[in-house]
Amino acid sequence: MEINLPIFALDSMSPLLAAGGIAAPDILGWISNSIFVATVVTVAVLLFTRMATKKMELIPNQKQNFVEFMIEFLYGQVEGIVGKHVAPKAFPLLATVFIFIITANWFGLLPGVGTIGWGEGSGPLSVKEVHTPLLRPATADLNMTLALAAVFMVVWFWISVKELGVWGSLVHIFGPKGGLQGALKYMLMPIFFFVGIIEVISIVFRPVSLSLRLLGNVFAGETLLVVMGGLGVNVMNASGFWAFLTSIIFPIPFYFMEILVGALQATVFTLLCAVYIKLSTTHEGEEH
Amino acid sequence: MEGIIEQFGVAWPKFIAQVIIVLIVYFVLSKYAFGPVLAMLEARRKRIAEGEENIKKIESQLAKAEENVQGMLDEANRDAERLIAEARESAEAVRGQKTQEAVKEAQSIIEKAREASRLEHESAMNELRKDFGRLVIDATSKVTGKVLDEDDQKRINQETAGQVSL
Repeated sequence: MEINLPIFALDSMSPLLAAGGIAAPDILGWISNSIFVATVVTVAVLLFTRMATKKMELIPNQKQNFVEFMIEFLYGQVEGIVGKHVAPKAFPLLATVFIFIITANWFGLLPGVGTIGWGEGSGPLSVKEVHTPLLRPATADLNMTLALAAVFMVVWFWISVKELGVWGSLVHIFGPKGGLQGALKYMLMPIFFFVGIIEVISIVFRPVSLSLRLLGNVFAGETLLVVMGGLGVNVMNASGFWAFLTSIIFPIPFYFMEILVGALQATVFTLLCAVYIKLSTTHEGEEH
Repeated sequence: MEGIIEQFGVAWPKFIAQVIIVLIVYFVLSKYAFGPVLAMLEARRKRIAEGEENIKKIESQLAKAEENVQGMLDEANRDAERLIAEARESAEAVRGQKTQEAVKEAQSIIEKAREASRLEHESAMNELRKDFGRLVIDATSKVTGKVLDEDDQKRINQETAGQVSL
């Protein structure tokens, strides 16, 4: 791999895909730029929360107040979906997922993410096109979104079994629902069993759908920003100062949209996880 | 399938690294952020609830105290009114008594004055009679050229006194 270290490529964005393609490129051994950014995001999140919660007081300072507001708000939302009983078990994971995804998504909007890296040289500190960006949004890597979904599925399984037990969970999936009694219950059992099989298939595909949805949205956003950044050069054939100016102006509206999309995708991922937990921990007779 | 996985860059080491990162965030946030913050929120909620409870208690105590104060004020007002009424009655009685005493005293003074005046008047009349008798005796003795003895004087005096009515 030819290294022209690390260089700005404002006028050389790919018109097709975010720099590096859909697979996150490695920057050091098997460590990809996405793992690097995930580590940075992790350190940032942990440092901030540690600073905010190190000396907690009844009358909070600004950082503590912000963290308390976030956690209280998230707890209220989680409690509203999964219920008061399950909320203490489900909240830490759901809040972690939300905070991590939203931070990672917004980190991807920082200038330089996807545009600083290695590529074919075109001048001092400049490349024509970035092939291997140094930074890439952590959630624009399927490994990360799959990891999030996998951790969720493990915790989801643990919470479900803890709430209903193994037999209870099986009955919950395959058993008759709606409080059926008598002959009708036995007559409909095969149908419910079949529905249970469909349910199991849908559960198996949950991590896939969760991870691909997040990846698709974030990667599409990155690609959109790259396309808009290169619009002046690739479509209007701008060069020099105009190429520089268009690469800044054209993406600006889409940055605002991506801020919204970043928050929205974090919300969607978290809400779906909460709903999955709710569905699998609802006792017979409770409202679905 | 393998082609798709390869195209997306999915690989075990990277996947496991990302899982570890997520787990680190999960455990650290759970231990150092969510736990303490939720405990703090709960503590604050309890404190607010206690504060509200205390406010209710204080309000109730205040209402009770106001009620007591009002009762005491009412009682004090009643006592004051009773005392004023008693004082007024007592003053009225004293005034009546003093008035009667004053009237009596005045009457007594008037009686005494009248008696004194009468006595003085009588004394003056007696003196006048005596003087008049003496004048008559002198005049009689000068007119008659006779020295009047004691009996004559006495008789003339009595006759004069009998004829003179003052």
